[in-house]
Amino acid sequence: MGASLPPKEANLFKLIVKSYETKQYKKGLKAADAILKKFPDHGETLSMKGLTLNCMDRKSEAYELVRQGLKNDLKSHVCWHVFGLLYRSDREYREAIKCYRNALRIDPENIEILRDLSLLQAQMRDLSGFVETRQQLLTLKPNHRMNWIGFSVAHHLNSNASKAVEILEAYEGTLENDHPPDNERLEHGEMILYKISLLEQCGFLERALGELRQKETKIVDKLAFKEQEVSLLVKLGHLEEAETLYRTLLSMNPDNYSYYEGLQKCVGLYLEDGKYSADQIDQLVLLYETLGQQYKWSSAVKRIPLDFLQGDKFREAAENYIRPLLTKGVPSLFSDLSSLYTHSGKADILEQLILELEQSIKTSSQYPGSTEKESSSTLLWTLFFLAQHYDRRGQYETSLSKIEEAIEHTPTVIDLYSFKSRLLKHAGDLNAAAAFADEARLMDLADRYVNSECVKRMLQADQVDLAEKIAVLFTKEGDQHNNLHDMQCMWYELASGESFFRQGNLGRALKKFLGVEKHYADITEDQFDFHSYCLRKMTLRSYVDMLKFQDQLHSHPYFHKAAAGAIRCYIKLHDFPPKSTTEEDEHMSNLLPSQKKKLRQKQRKAEARAKKEAEEKNEELNSSVVSKSGKRPVKPVDPDPHGEKLLQVEDPLSEAVKYLKLLQKNSPDSLETHLLSFELYTRKRKILLAFQAVKQLLRLDADHPDSHRCLIKFFHQLGSMSTPVTESEKLIWSVLEAERSTISQLHEKSLFEANNAFHDNHKDSLMHRAAFAEILYILDSNRKSEAVKLIEDSVNNTVPRNGAIGPIGEWKLEDCIAVHKLLGTVLVDQDAALRWKVRCAEYFPYSTYFEGRHSSASPNSAFSQLRKNSENDGPNHSVDNQNVGSTTSNGRAFENLTIS
Amino acid sequence: MVCIRKATVNDLLAMQACNLFCLPENYQMKYYLYHILSWPQLLYVAEDYNGRIVGYVLAKMEEETNECHGHITSLAVLRTHRKLGIATKLMTAAQNAMEQVFGAEYVSLHVRKSNRAAFNLYTETLGYKIHDVEAKYYADGEDAYDMRKQLKGKTIHPPQHHHHHHHHGGGCCSGETKGNAKA
Repeated sequence: MGASLPPKEANLFKLIVKSYETKQYKKGLKAADAILKKFPDHGETLSMKGLTLNCMDRKSEAYELVRQGLKNDLKSHVCWHVFGLLYRSDREYREAIKCYRNALRIDPENIEILRDLSLLQAQMRDLSGFVETRQQLLTLKPNHRMNWIGFSVAHHLNSNASKAVEILEAYEGTLENDHPPDNERLEHGEMILYKISLLEQCGFLERALGELRQKETKIVDKLAFKEQEVSLLVKLGHLEEAETLYRTLLSMNPDNYSYYEGLQKCVGLYLEDGKYSADQIDQLVLLYETLGQQYKWSSAVKRIPLDFLQGDKFREAAENYIRPLLTKGVPSLFSDLSSLYTHSGKADILEQLILELEQSIKTSSQYPGSTEKESSSTLLWTLFFLAQHYDRRGQYETSLSKIEEAIEHTPTVIDLYSFKSRLLKHAGDLNAAAAFADEARLMDLADRYVNSECVKRMLQADQVDLAEKIAVLFTKEGDQHNNLHDMQCMWYELASGESFFRQGNLGRALKKFLGVEKHYADITEDQFDFHSYCLRKMTLRSYVDMLKFQDQLHSHPYFHKAAAGAIRCYIKLHDFPPKSTTEEDEHMSNLLPSQKKKLRQKQRKAEARAKKEAEEKNEELNSSVVSKSGKRPVKPVDPDPHGEKLLQVEDPLSEAVKYLKLLQKNSPDSLETHLLSFELYTRKRKILLAFQAVKQLLRLDADHPDSHRCLIKFFHQLGSMSTPVTESEKLIWSVLEAERSTISQLHEKSLFEANNAFHDNHKDSLMHRAAFAEILYILDSNRKSEAVKLIEDSVNNTVPRNGAIGPIGEWKLEDCIAVHKLLGTVLVDQDAALRWKVRCAEYFPYSTYFEGRHSSASPNSAFSQLRKNSENDGPNHSVDNQNVGSTTSNGRAFENLTIS
Repeated sequence: MVCIRKATVNDLLAMQACNLFCLPENYQMKYYLYHILSWPQLLYVAEDYNGRIVGYVLAKMEEETNECHGHITSLAVLRTHRKLGIATKLMTAAQNAMEQVFGAEYVSLHVRKSNRAAFNLYTETLGYKIHDVEAKYYADGEDAYDMRKQLKGKTIHPPQHHHHHHHHGGGCCSGETKGNAKA
C-alpha cells in the first residue's frame, strides 16, 4: 500500500487508512490532500480519499475519485478493494464481489480482501463460494480460532452439517488440555452447544447426548444445556429421563408452556388436535392436579386444562379459574379465554356461567355458594367480561349496554373506554370508535399505549392529519413525523398508507407502503455486520437462526401488506393515470420522435441537476451540524415527502410486478398474492401468467368466490379475443385448451354451466351468490335484473345458539358493504343499491357506511351525544396545548414501564 | 395465562412492535439483533394464549468495565396485560441468566423519575436501589434514576424459584470482543 510513495508520503498514506478505520475522516482527508499536493495522480490516494468522502455522505465526489484512482493504477489491489467497498456501501453487492475478485487476482492471499469477500458471500448466500473463501482463510491463518469456526459454519450453511462437525473436532484437537482459559469459558461452551446442535441435525443423537454429558462441566449456559438434553432424550425415546428433566425445567420456570407440552408428550398424553378420549382426559386431570399442587403460583397449570375438559367438568374448572381473576380485576381475562370460543359449546357455557356470577353479585355481592363478600370492582370486571363476550358473538347492542353499565359503575377505568372504541369499530362506526379512543387517551396522556390505540382508530376513520398530530406527541426530535419512519414504526405507516389509499391519495399511500418495504430492505442489510461479529462472539446458534429468519423475512405479514398496498396503488395508477401526465403525453404525441427524445433527455438532465443540488445541500447541512455539536449528522431532507414523484412512474404495472414477484416468492400460499397477480397480468395481457394465477387460486381454495370469479373471467376474456394468428399465439391457445380440460370446474361445461354449478354448491352463502350474480352479468349483460334479484333474494339466516339474547344474522358487515359496492358500481343498479343499504342499516344499526340509526351518521347516536358533551366541557381535539412529555400522569397506576 | 420463555430471533419483530406501541424510547431492528446476537440468554418474552407477544425484556452485559454487570435496556408490558406479574417474571428470568451465565455482580437500569409504577416495581418487588440521578437523560429532558441491584449471593428469589446456582468465573468481561455491530 502506498508503495510507490517516498517515506514521508507513505506514512501519510498509512494515516489515511488508519483514520478511515477509526472513523476520523477529517484527519484522513487532510493527509490525502497533503499527498495529492505533491502527487496529484497517485491512484491509491485518490481512491482512499474517495472512500473517506463516501463516509462523509459526499457520494458523487466519492465515486469520481475512486474511479479516477483506479484508472491511474489499474494494477493496485488497494484501488480495486476500495472500489468494492464503495459498491458494498451502496448495497451493490454483485459489483462489489467483482471488484474484490479483481483485487484478489492481483494479490491472491490478501487476508483482508478475502475476509471482505467472505462477508459478501455470506450476505448474498453464495454458499459454495463462502465455503471456498473460508477454506482459503483457514489455510492461510490456521492459528486463528475464528477461521476454524468460520469454515465450520460455512459448511453448515451449505447443508453439510457433518462436515461442519468434523472441522470443529479438528479444531478441538489443536487445543491444549486445560482449554479454555477462564475468560473464554462461555464462548467455548457455546461452541460445544453449537456442535451438539449440529450432531442433532445430522441425526447422530446418541453421539450428541454422549458429547453433551461428557462436556457438561464446560458448558456455562445451564438452561441451554438442559433444554438441549431434554430435546435429545425425547428424540431418543428415553421418555422417563426426559419426564424428570421436564419437571426440573418446570420448577425453574413454571410459566413456560412448551415444558408442559413436552411433559405431556413424555407421559403419552399429547395429541396435536386436542381430541382426547375420556380416559386420557381423566389422566390429564390427574397430571395437572399434581402439577397444580407443586406450582401454586403458575397460572398455566390452571389454564391448560380448560382446553381439554368438556361439559360440566369444563364448567367447574372454568368457574374456579375465572372467579379469582374477576375478583383481582385482570383486564386480559377475556382475551385469555377467547381461544375457547372455537371449541364447540364452550362459549355457551361461559355465557351462562358469567351471567350467573353477574346475577349473584348484583343481588348479594357474593359469588354463588360463597360466603365471602366481593368488593364492588368484581361487578365491574364481570360486566367488562360480558361486554367482550357479546362483542365476540356479534351482539353489539347487548355488548354496548354492558360496557355502558360498567362505565356508569366506575367511570375512571381506561380499559372500558378502549374496549368501547373497539366494539364500535366492530359494529361499523369508525368515527365513534376514534372518538372513544380519544377519550381513553385523554385519561392518561403519559401512556403511549392509549395514544397508539387512538392513532390507530383515527387512521381507520380516515382522520389522517389528526392522527399524525397525536402520534408525534410521543416521538422525539425536530422532524417528528419522520421519527416514526426512522424507528420503523410499521403499523403506523401501514395504517396511514391504507387510509391514504382509501381517500384516493395514491402518492402519499405509495410513500407509506414503500417506506415499509424499505424497512425490510434495511433489516436485510442489518445482518451484514454480524457475519464477522458472531464468529468472534461465538453466538453461533443465534447467528444461524438469524440467517434463517432473514431468509424468510419478506414473508412477514407487515411486508405482505405493504407490498400488496403498493401493487394496488400502481394498478389504480394504471387504470386512472393522473391528469398532468396524460396532458403531457398529448403534448408529447405532437412531437416528432427525435424531438421527444431530446425533451426526455432535457428532463432527465434537469432531474439529475436537481438531485445533485439536493445532495450538496444535504452535505452543507451535515458539515455545519457536525462541526457544531460533533453529533451524528442530521437526516437528509426528503425531496419528496408526499410521494408526488412516485406517481410519475412511466409504467406503473412494471413497478407493481417487482413487488408481486416478492409476494409470489414469499407468500405463495396467500390468496391475495394470486388475486393481485391475476389483476396485474390481465392488464399486462400476459395470458399465460394470468392463467398461472388462476391455477394457484384453484390450488389454494377452489371454492372461494374470488377464485371462481377469476377462473370464469379468464376463460370469458379468452373467448372474446380474436383467433390466434402468429405461431406463438397458436401455441398459447393450444396450451390453454389442453389445460382447460384438466380443470374439474370446467370439465365438459360451458362457462354458464360452470357458474350455475358454483351457485348450486353454495346457495346459502351471500358472497358466493354475489360472485355468481356478477359473473352471470359479465357473461350476459342482458341478465342483469336476474343477477340483481338473486342477490336481493339472499337470506340473512339467524345463527342458532342456545340462550342467546336477541337474534344475530350470519352476514358480516364487510361482506354486505362489498355487495353494496357490487350493486352500485359493477351491476350499476342504483335503486337496488339503495334498497340494499336500507336493508343493511337494519342489520347493522351502528354502521356509518349504511347510515344505521345508532351510527354517528344519525343524530341520536352515542357518538353525536359524545360530541355534544365535549362541546360543553371536556376533551377537544386541539393537541397543541397538551404537554405529554411532562409529568401529566394523574396518579393512576399504569404498567408501561419505561426504561432505556 | 401468559407463557414466559426465552426470546428467539423470530420474536424480534413482535418485540419491536410491542415497544413502539407502548414506550416512548424506541430502537431500530439492528439494535434488537445486536442484543440477541450478543447475549441470547438475556432476552425474554411474554406470549399470551393466542400466541401474541404482550411483553418483553431486552437486556445486555456491560463488557467494557471492570465490574461485570448486566443492564436492562428495555422492559415493556402491554397495558392490557397488567396485573399478571409479567414484568416481575421477565425481570427475574433475565437477572437469573445474567448471574448464572455471565457471573454478573449487579444489574443496572434507568427509569424516568415520573414513572412511579415502574419505580415501585423496581424498588419494592425487585429490590433495586437508586444509585445515581442522571439529569436530562431522556430526549424530552426528563431525569432518570440510575438504579442497581446486587446479584451475587444477595439475590432475593421469589418463592416459586428453586434454582440451582452454578457460579463460574469469567465468561462475561473477557473484553476480547469489540462490537462494531452496535447500532
